[in-house]
Amino acid sequence: MARLRRLALLVVLALFVAWLWPRPGELAGGAKTGGDTLARIREAGTVRVGFANEAPFAYVDAETGRLTGEAPELARLVFRQLGVAEIRGVLTEFGSLIPALKAGRFDVIAAGMYITPERCREILFSDPTYAIGEAFVVPAGNPLGLHGYRDLRDTEGATLGVVTGAIQLEYARAVGIADDRIRIFPDAPSAVDGVAAGRVSAYGATVLTVNDLLSKTSAPLERAEPFTELVLDGETVKGYGAFGFRRGDAALRDAFNQVLRGTIGTEAHLELVAPFGFTRDMLPGDATAAALCEGA
Amino acid sequence: MAFLQTHLPALLDGLRTTLQLTVGGALLAAALAAVAGLGRRSPRRLCRWPANVYVEVFRGTSALVQLFWFYFALPLFGVSLPALATGVLVLGLNSGAYGAEVVRSAIAAVPAGQWEAARALQLDERQALFRVILPQALPMMLPPAGNLLVELLKNTALVSLITLSELTFTAQVQRAATLETVPLFALTLAIYFAAAQVLLAGVRRLERHVTRHRRGRA
Repeated sequence: MARLRRLALLVVLALFVAWLWPRPGELAGGAKTGGDTLARIREAGTVRVGFANEAPFAYVDAETGRLTGEAPELARLVFRQLGVAEIRGVLTEFGSLIPALKAGRFDVIAAGMYITPERCREILFSDPTYAIGEAFVVPAGNPLGLHGYRDLRDTEGATLGVVTGAIQLEYARAVGIADDRIRIFPDAPSAVDGVAAGRVSAYGATVLTVNDLLSKTSAPLERAEPFTELVLDGETVKGYGAFGFRRGDAALRDAFNQVLRGTIGTEAHLELVAPFGFTRDMLPGDATAAALCEGA
Repeated sequence: MAFLQTHLPALLDGLRTTLQLTVGGALLAAALAAVAGLGRRSPRRLCRWPANVYVEVFRGTSALVQLFWFYFALPLFGVSLPALATGVLVLGLNSGAYGAEVVRSAIAAVPAGQWEAARALQLDERQALFRVILPQALPMMLPPAGNLLVELLKNTALVSLITLSELTFTAQVQRAATLETVPLFALTLAIYFAAAQVLLAGVRRLERHVTRHRRGRA
């Protein structure tokens, strides 16, 4: 009996180790930088793209397990034309995207990341692929009457939730909301739960993020309407999302841009991004990465 | 039921990564703890100092920052480990530093008379350590080692920083898709609890094994 039990234990242990044993590829994927990235990914037939699982920009479809969203679908299209058949997603936190790109953990950021002068100091951007405005998630009925960043600043006791590494922190500071009234959440779902639990008065994010989150949540929340667009230095603030590249990969970025220019605004492009809530009025117009990088 | 069908497969996949890190990290930590723990009580400076530096550096700095450094900073100096290897290495180095103190204190807790008795029986230093002292120190190490093991299991949640989708991060991803925060985190808690119970059962078995001679004679 004791021998049988020991044997059973050994079998269970062996199965356990076999389950845990790294599969091919799990121990691969060290950092790769330097050399001609475009040539390398063409030869490999795959390009590694970093994303932060933020619908509708770039996320894993919970049902199919497929990497999708505005940025990955567009990346697929562009890279196919550059002779790279496949994109492979590397999932990480939003705040880790830039360090991971720089460390060569993947070759492109495909997360719908906004072009900002600060980020331009760290990485290169493709030309933007969309331009969208801002919104707040607030409790149903908007009890504090928050209809914009300046409203929130002028409402005593109102606090704002933002996501780590996201642009909204800069907006909040730019209009003069004190840091002790800003709460930084690790991700969008936490920020939504933060509003639902009364931890913050509002959560600031892009229109598309807010629409997507509100379509999923069952908590009594709503989008603050009407919403006063943020105006800084006389210009309405819009977020211009683009793809990120390492500073050494200007050639790859330029090749990418060239294909992108022939794609953005075409019917095929609009059809591709329509399922994610992107519409014609969100096209970036003639904005370029170079102009947006100069910025304020 | 539909809830489990949607989320459980992904969570189990995350659990697999969590356990890979836990088991790999624990094996590395055990080896490092033994070497550094013995090193710290060595009369030779050449053994003692590196062990001291290792323990103090890894105990005294944040595991999260260490992960960040190994994963994002080292490649800039040309050293690049895959994500899983980085996770195992950093978690192992970290737990090993705490483990070294467990090893050292357990050895120190064996009464000095045992060393003297061993010497009186003509055992050399090494024989005394392996035949007399360690068999008594080992049962004292295991309860705090079990603590460290469970701590390690939970510390694996840090590695989402370095692109690994372990259990907690997987729960976050599933949550982002459906915003079912409460049931998802309840399920995740239950999975961690079950995993910790299995690990602790293993430690208890090991404890029984190393103290079997005591029961035999009682």
